[in-house]
Amino acid sequence: MRDDVLIGLVTVFVPFSLISIGGGGSIVAGIQNEVVNTHGWLTSKEFVEIFALSRAAPGPGTMLATLIGWTVAGWTGALIASLSLFLPSSLLCYTVFRLSNAHRERPWHKTMREGLAPVGTGLIIAGVISILRVTGGSASSIGIALASAMLLLSFPRLSPLAIILAGGAVAWGLHEYGLSAL
Amino acid sequence: MDMNTDSGSSLRPATLPALFLTCLRIGALSFGGGLSGWLHREFVHGKKWIGEDDFASTMAIAQMLPGANVVNLVVCMGEQLRGPLGAATCLFGFLIGPFFAVIAFGAMAARIGDATAFESGLVGVAAAATGLLIVVGWHGVRRSRHWPQLVVMAAVILAVGVMEWPLLPVVALVAPISVAIAWKRRSVDAR
Repeated sequence: MRDDVLIGLVTVFVPFSLISIGGGGSIVAGIQNEVVNTHGWLTSKEFVEIFALSRAAPGPGTMLATLIGWTVAGWTGALIASLSLFLPSSLLCYTVFRLSNAHRERPWHKTMREGLAPVGTGLIIAGVISILRVTGGSASSIGIALASAMLLLSFPRLSPLAIILAGGAVAWGLHEYGLSAL
Repeated sequence: MDMNTDSGSSLRPATLPALFLTCLRIGALSFGGGLSGWLHREFVHGKKWIGEDDFASTMAIAQMLPGANVVNLVVCMGEQLRGPLGAATCLFGFLIGPFFAVIAFGAMAARIGDATAFESGLVGVAAAATGLLIVVGWHGVRRSRHWPQLVVMAAVILAVGVMEWPLLPVVALVAPISVAIAWKRRSVDAR
C-alpha cells in the first residue's frame, strides 16, 4: 500500500514537473485534480489549507508538492514528491541553458539576451499583478506591496525579512480590528 | 567555455561555499514568496555576481521553460557562475531550507484549529514579499536604454498580467520582435 502511494507520487509529480511552463502557478489546478479527485489522497479543504501554507512558507510556491508528499506518506513521501517535481524540470532547464550559454560571446547570443531582458522585466511585473489578484486584490494587499517596495528602494540596507514580517503584522492587525475587507 | 564574463566589468567571482550559503539563506528566509526579488537583491546588487541584463534575460528563459521560475533561475545562475557543480550547489542550497520549513508549517497548522487570523497575516506576508518583485521590475524599467524596450515591457505586462493570456504564446510572439529590435539597434550602433 505504502509503496503504491510512493509510486503514485512519482507518477503524479514527474509529468507536472515537465509541463509546468510559466511556473508553479500553472499546475496547481492540475495537481489539485490528481490529488483530490483521481487519487483521493486529500479532501478539497485539506488541499486548500496546504496550498495556503506553502505560499506563506519560505521557498517557491511549488513546495506544495513537499507538503502533499509529507501528508500522504511522511518524510519519505516528502522527499519523493520534492525530487519528482523539482529534478526533471531542473535537469531540462540546466541542459537548455548550458547548450545556449556555450555561445555566450557570439553577437547573436548577446543580442538574444539584450532582447530577452525587457521580456523578463515585463514578466516580473505581470507576475506582481497576478499575485495581487490571487491574494484578493484588496486595497490593503496592494498598499502593503507598494509600501514594501518603496521602503526597499529608499532604504536598500533594510532587511527584506523585517519588511515582510511587518506586512504580516499590518494585515493581521487590520483583520483583528475588522478592517480586512479594505 | 568562458563562464564569467559580462559587459559590466565590475562583476565578482563566486565560490561554491558562498553560493551555497547565499542560496540557503534566501531559501530559508523568503517567507511569502517574492523569491526572484531576493535573488536579484543578492546576486545582482549585494554580491555583484550577475549583471542586471543577464539577470533579466535569464529570468525570461527560466519562465519559458517548465519548472518553478525561481528554481530554474538559481540553476541557470549556478551554471553560469560555477558550472555543473554550481548549479547543483545552488539547487540543493536553495531547496533544503524550504523543504523543512514547509513541513514545519504543516505540522504547526495541524495543531491550530481556527486559522483565519493566521491566514490574514499570511496574506500580508505575501503582499509585502511582492514588494521585492516590484523593486526588480523598477530596476528593469530604469535600465531600459530606448523606448522600444519600454513598449516590449508594456506589451508583456498588458498581455500576461492584465489580460491573463497564456504566457508561452505571448512570449513566443513578443520575444522574437524584441530580439529583432535589439539586433537592428546593434547594427545601427556598429555603423
